[in-house]
Amino acid sequence: MARAVTKQRKTINTIAAWAVGLLIFFPILWTILTSFKTEAQAISDPPVFLFFDWTLENYGVVQERSDYMRFLWNSVIIAGGSTLLGIIVAVPAAWSMAFVPSKRTKDILLWMLSTKMLPAVGVLYPIYLIFISLGLLDTRIGLVVVMMLINLPIIVWMLYTYFREIPGEILEAARMDGASLKNEILYVLTPMAVPGIASTILLNFILAWNEAFWTLNLTAAKAAPLTAFIASYSSPEGLFYAKLSAASTMAIAPILILGWFSQKQLVRGLTFGAVK
Amino acid sequence: MARDGRPLQLFRNLNAKIAAIPMIFTAVVIFAGGTIWTVVYSFTDSKLLPRLRWVGLDQYDRLWNTSRWIISIENLMIYGVFSLVFSLVIGFVLAALLDQKIRFENTFRTIFLYPFALSFIVTGLVWQWILNPDFGVQSVIRDLGWESFTFDPLYTADIVIYGILIAGLWQGTGLIMCLMLAGLRGIDEDVWKAARVDGIPIWKTYLFIIIPMMRPVFITTLVLIASGIVRVYDLVVAQTSGGPGIASEVPAKYVYDKMFLGQNLAQGFAGSTMMLLTVLIVLIPWAYLEFGGKRRV
Repeated sequence: MARAVTKQRKTINTIAAWAVGLLIFFPILWTILTSFKTEAQAISDPPVFLFFDWTLENYGVVQERSDYMRFLWNSVIIAGGSTLLGIIVAVPAAWSMAFVPSKRTKDILLWMLSTKMLPAVGVLYPIYLIFISLGLLDTRIGLVVVMMLINLPIIVWMLYTYFREIPGEILEAARMDGASLKNEILYVLTPMAVPGIASTILLNFILAWNEAFWTLNLTAAKAAPLTAFIASYSSPEGLFYAKLSAASTMAIAPILILGWFSQKQLVRGLTFGAVK
Repeated sequence: MARDGRPLQLFRNLNAKIAAIPMIFTAVVIFAGGTIWTVVYSFTDSKLLPRLRWVGLDQYDRLWNTSRWIISIENLMIYGVFSLVFSLVIGFVLAALLDQKIRFENTFRTIFLYPFALSFIVTGLVWQWILNPDFGVQSVIRDLGWESFTFDPLYTADIVIYGILIAGLWQGTGLIMCLMLAGLRGIDEDVWKAARVDGIPIWKTYLFIIIPMMRPVFITTLVLIASGIVRVYDLVVAQTSGGPGIASEVPAKYVYDKMFLGQNLAQGFAGSTMMLLTVLIVLIPWAYLEFGGKRRV
């Protein structure tokens, strides 16, 4: 900020900032580049950076070995479905916490968030048993529910922080005009909170998209999403780094692209609303 | 608050309670219910299937006499402490250095957040490769002329957990930095001016004025780092599968292996109960200090 920064210093800082940014981005960039190399070039010594024979061969091999689209579709359904369900459950809860706070609101929020701290293995087996008895194992609907449950605390917390910035008087006025509770939430609160809700949706979508622990344990062939797709390549069954990179690139590309085109929501969402 | 004390109080609270029920219900039933179930069955001798034949503390006795469990706990502690310290320090220092208008700031932040937007599985695989001695960092530096350079954490039992730590830091620090940056931006410019007028050195201003003012940001980052530490399982599985030998085992993996591979359910439950206990020992005093003391609504 304006801490008597000279123009020269500012340039240096910008360069430094982007250098650090590049350093952080490098592993991702390297993975993407490697996915276009042949296996020999991928492990060549010294490494080749840009000047290699670009090839799409790896993608073909990966696609042939496992049907990428099926995994992608599962990921979209699971991440999208759990996010939608989570928002539907969380909006009323966050509304009540933000606008009708009671003495216990802070406690409830804390208890809710503390479930995120609990080791997931502690509830894995009970949920596994429930899944077996309900026939939900390796189904998308089962995963949608589990993902919704584990991310719900984060969704409620984020919506709560966004809702609190909205002046309660506006809701009051709507109520005075005879709006029912449903209409108050649906037509007054929600439209005002759209930016916050969008960030929450994006964050939750990414969290659900990346969740590996639950998806690996509760799915097999049918409902497996992209995290399972990429994990299946980590065992060295004659597959090598170029193909592994291709598989990784295919798994992360949707998120990178989505993030790039919604930078503002991404930054707001991933920083839990800290960046305005 | 202005909204309180109106005639419709009772009704509105009722509405609020009804609105919050689905959320509280799911949290309580699934997490509390599941956790209690696990704790109860940790006192049994369940093997392949859960059954209620009590054996008291036998499972815990066995647990603490297993070297693999001890190593797991040590690893988690090393990982936990270092990831906490380094995330906070690196995150804050970077944020302080970058605390000024940068061109294309959203893009810049997006890049810093990208690692966090990746699955732990991908992070683990990428870093498994970067840390590979044959074509990763070690080979690049040797090619530059430093022939004896050795950096081989993933294949050296003593330091393998630090290899995992590097990947974990890469994934999380960008996020911490962005949060800290947002916190720094939120601080009034007048604070800086006042400190300068009083002739307080910059580092002192940061240490005694700015950081205490950023308390809420630090709490958010602590929560995030802590939940990342609990989730280190994914990273270990993708990077080393616990190897070399059992040098990079973590508690969650022990529990998982006992439950699903070792057909020794109760042993796994005992492990996860210990993990739960550890979390509670850390969490409860902090939660009391943070939320219990001043109950302001």
